[in-house]
Amino acid sequence: MMDAVKRYFRSPAAVVGLLLLLVVIVMAITASWIYPRDPLALAGRPLIWPFSNPRFLLGTDNSGRDIAAQIFYGARISLLIGGVATVIAVVIGVLIGAFAGYYGGWVDTVLMRITEAFQTLPNFVLLLVLVAVFGSTITTVTIAVGIVSWPAPARLTRAEFMSLRSREFVQAGRTLGMKDIQLILGEILPNALPPVIVYASVVMALSILLESALAFLRLSDPNVASWGNLIGLGRDVLRVQWYVSAIPGIAILLTVLAVSLVGQGLNDALNPRLKSR
Amino acid sequence: MTRLEMTRRTALLTSAAIAANVANPLRAFAQETPRKGGVFNVHYGAEQRQLNPSIQASTGVYIIGGKIQEALVDLDANGQPVGVLAESWESTPDGKTITFKLRKGVTWHDGKPFTSADVQFTAMNMWKKILNYGSTLQLFLTAVETPDAQTAIFKYERPMPLGLLLRALPDLGYISAKHLYESSSDIRQNPTNLAPVGTGPFKFVKYERGQYIIAERNENYWRPNAPYLDRIVWKVVTDRAAAAAQMEAGDIQYSPFTGLTISDTARLSKDKRFIVSTKGNEGNARTNTIEFNFRRKELADIRVRRAIAHAINVPFFIENFLGDFAKLGTGPIPSVSTDFYPGPDTPQYPYDKKKAIALLDEAGFKPGAGGTRFSLRLLPAPWGEDISLWATFIQQSLGEVGIPVEIVRNDGGGFLKQVYDDHAFDLSTGWHQYRNDPAVSTTVWYRSGQPKGAPWTNQWDWKNEAIDKVIDDAATEIDPVKRKALYATFVKEANTELPVWMPIEQIFVTVINAKARNHSNTPRWGSSSWHDLWLSA
Amino acid sequence: MRILSLAGRRLAASIPTLFLILIGVFLLLQFAPGDTVDAMMAQMGGGDAATARELRKFYGLDLSIPMQLGNYLWRLIRLDLGFSSIYGKPVATVILERLPPTILLMTASLSFAFFFGLLLGVIAARGVNKWPDTLISTLGLVFYATPSFWFGLMAIVVFSIYLQWLPAGGFEDIGAAQTGFGRTIDIALHLILPTLTLGLIFLAIYLRIMRASMLEVLNLDFVRTARAKGLDETRVVVKHVLRNALLPMVTLIGLQAGTMLGGSVVVESVFSLPGLGRLAYESVVQRDLNTLLGIVFVSALLVILVNFLVDLLYARLDPRIQAEA
Repeated sequence: MMDAVKRYFRSPAAVVGLLLLLVVIVMAITASWIYPRDPLALAGRPLIWPFSNPRFLLGTDNSGRDIAAQIFYGARISLLIGGVATVIAVVIGVLIGAFAGYYGGWVDTVLMRITEAFQTLPNFVLLLVLVAVFGSTITTVTIAVGIVSWPAPARLTRAEFMSLRSREFVQAGRTLGMKDIQLILGEILPNALPPVIVYASVVMALSILLESALAFLRLSDPNVASWGNLIGLGRDVLRVQWYVSAIPGIAILLTVLAVSLVGQGLNDALNPRLKSR
Repeated sequence: MTRLEMTRRTALLTSAAIAANVANPLRAFAQETPRKGGVFNVHYGAEQRQLNPSIQASTGVYIIGGKIQEALVDLDANGQPVGVLAESWESTPDGKTITFKLRKGVTWHDGKPFTSADVQFTAMNMWKKILNYGSTLQLFLTAVETPDAQTAIFKYERPMPLGLLLRALPDLGYISAKHLYESSSDIRQNPTNLAPVGTGPFKFVKYERGQYIIAERNENYWRPNAPYLDRIVWKVVTDRAAAAAQMEAGDIQYSPFTGLTISDTARLSKDKRFIVSTKGNEGNARTNTIEFNFRRKELADIRVRRAIAHAINVPFFIENFLGDFAKLGTGPIPSVSTDFYPGPDTPQYPYDKKKAIALLDEAGFKPGAGGTRFSLRLLPAPWGEDISLWATFIQQSLGEVGIPVEIVRNDGGGFLKQVYDDHAFDLSTGWHQYRNDPAVSTTVWYRSGQPKGAPWTNQWDWKNEAIDKVIDDAATEIDPVKRKALYATFVKEANTELPVWMPIEQIFVTVINAKARNHSNTPRWGSSSWHDLWLSA
Repeated sequence: MRILSLAGRRLAASIPTLFLILIGVFLLLQFAPGDTVDAMMAQMGGGDAATARELRKFYGLDLSIPMQLGNYLWRLIRLDLGFSSIYGKPVATVILERLPPTILLMTASLSFAFFFGLLLGVIAARGVNKWPDTLISTLGLVFYATPSFWFGLMAIVVFSIYLQWLPAGGFEDIGAAQTGFGRTIDIALHLILPTLTLGLIFLAIYLRIMRASMLEVLNLDFVRTARAKGLDETRVVVKHVLRNALLPMVTLIGLQAGTMLGGSVVVESVFSLPGLGRLAYESVVQRDLNTLLGIVFVSALLVILVNFLVDLLYARLDPRIQAEA
């Protein structure tokens, strides 16, 4: 374990990623300290340029709201959506993948047909349908993003399970009379999990991007300060006040970059033989 | 039979205008000689399902179908009815029979003659049965008699004020060709709706979904020497910022009906290459609303509704967010409606935060934990940048007086369903479109007994018998002076009770290339036929 | 002939999946607030209850849900996708009209991502851990993290608004009404920015895979031997390395086909392209069930087709794998 940590910190990219992610997390935590007012409240004249008024370091958007405050609070939303949606996707994916991979046979066939169906349907179209049906609150959007993201972790888990289920330690457990569920959760899962957790960083990055795309089409929750909402709003003033869209775009970019770098760093640290990749 | 004063005047005006070959006396560039030719490119923001204005009343259809098909009457430069396919009209004293004399020598684009049979067919099968607002307007129309090819006699069960009919017909009076529709089992599915055939100055050529529509000059148009343009091309550009870029590149000459973003509109208004104005859209006035759901006990209290109105700084909002093209509204009848506007001396609710707080306290909704009195769900309509800005501003303003507001976003279908059918809202906000006469689309916002699910009608669970009576009386009152007085009473009552608050008045903004001539010369120019529009070199 | 029968079998195997998807989406949309008539009313800017009732009857919305579903599936079996309520035309026609821009955009983006991913991946792998590698790898990570719609918007700001080099949106210039070669150039110019926007994330993915595969293969014995034998390095790379590294890249195309279609919803909306993606968005918003189901059907077929082609390619690239008969 210590080796892995050491390996992680040996990679400059991974360290940069971690630092960036920490910055985003700190922003999310300190948002309500630094900006005690509601970030969606009217703060001043609309469309003040960045750095032109010391009160609004990053300027104001077309609704007269402080962009800097929205960037800070937006960090919360992006981490929240990214985190929760990833947990949902991974939990569903691991369950389905585990059962399919462990049992094989018709269970596998049925579960994989469903997975295939989800993969064949363009995920963003499904997301649009889900949001149109269940509405655009932060909860529904998060769940919807989770629901469209589970097939990849499911396939990954299945592959791991298929290779692990015939290993000796599983056979041993079976001869000891362990139940299937004990074997799945207690024996195989811990061994199958590391690659899935590494992959979770990809799911998280994609979740953040998916939510922002939804917000850009004005289908996300307007009651929270999200980066995507700000980009969508900025679209109306793109020609002159391009900074309204540009600033939150950079925030998304850096956050996704941080998550990917950390994921890659973890991957390299946990699978040293692939380090050269 | 007696002719109404106004009718005679407009009939005279019409014939004089035709004699002079200028239907519009207010020509801004009279010194220039009109130039024939040229292509006029129009920004088309929201594609419709079909293009026939006889079965769908909306600017998105008029902007195209209004050049190809024509109505019985249109509005002239002064906003008065002027004959198009009808040459003259008269009403019996009881208001139950209205006779239209039709223009001779008009042919459809396919060469067949235009006759009273077309009027009869369109009125009975399209206006009365399919056309939105038309079916309400023509509810008591029992028959259209056609004694000869140039006469159409409208028979009504109850008196129809001639003024109301004439003000409604420019929008709700487009004629379709009977011979193209009579054999079709369903008018809505008729392919002609997507390739319209009319009597207008431009002939339909091609519709490429998602891209463009083309119409070309009708060489056999009944107005001599018209039209001037060779072609009109409507370009489908859904992104408003992209449309502004195309205007600047000269790829589009005209963006109608506030088609660009507020910021781009303000920017182009300072550019000499463009004319940015509300002129030519006076017939398309609208007000921004706040609709209150009386099923919420807090909102059923008049003090709360008034407090909400007092809590919102409308002049600040207009100045900082909407700019020059909006103004303070004073009620359901906008000030551009010269025939009915009662003046600003009706109950108004200027910004006064202290008063708002006092009213809320008085109503018994004292702030609880965290300063919250009660919270509300606000459903904004998904069209228009101003609506979403306004919704945000409502949210910000009410938050200041202890009413947290949650904005619930929906797409168009979801919004109408939730507000007007499921009644799943506390506040909602959108546009009330005023269509030249309060009886067309305004009083339905206040009259009780609207069928559940009818959009833009009183679905607030609010009923006031006095207002209902005023509305009913005004709808069948044939004396124009008395009608105006009745509507003044209506506005006063509506502003007192405040089931809907209409504090902002807007007219659509036109952005047009400065090379265009004879544009914006009638109150519904964007929808009109453009027979006299030309482009200078 | 063998390919055809293989394709037929492949399609037959996908039929249950297809039905699963269509029924799922159909049922899901029944929970949506508002139907196509509400959406139509919203578009018209007003209407009365009688009109709405008439319209519901007209679109068959007054039937029970199982009846509607039954009707739909029965029509589908006869290969009839139904009638679009927004467009007033058969769904098949509407989709066929919208398919070319999307196919063009997807092909262009894939080719762009594939070609440049390959090129950059090779360059990076050849100079592993030197500055070109660092630069390319960093760029790859940044591209991967860039929200596509944001990149599109910023590209419009730079290339269309400030520099005025490229059109800001649309599929072709209608005013010009060109034909033949001129039109091709015109469409190509309109597609440059959308292609870059859609292709960016795939470029990032392909370049990473290419680099990794290259590194792996370059270390294999036969390549070392080839080098030791003094063979021309370019030939070594082309002959052995590319062939092996292409395998994972091709696999990925199959996996990403669905994602790409989803991505085109956003890109087509940014650049006002009249494609399948925007049609999907419109039909969701307009509650045009037939059109939406039609799109789902066609895009599922597309994904299946792409995967089939990928398998064939795979068999060509790697003789060890036989296309399972």
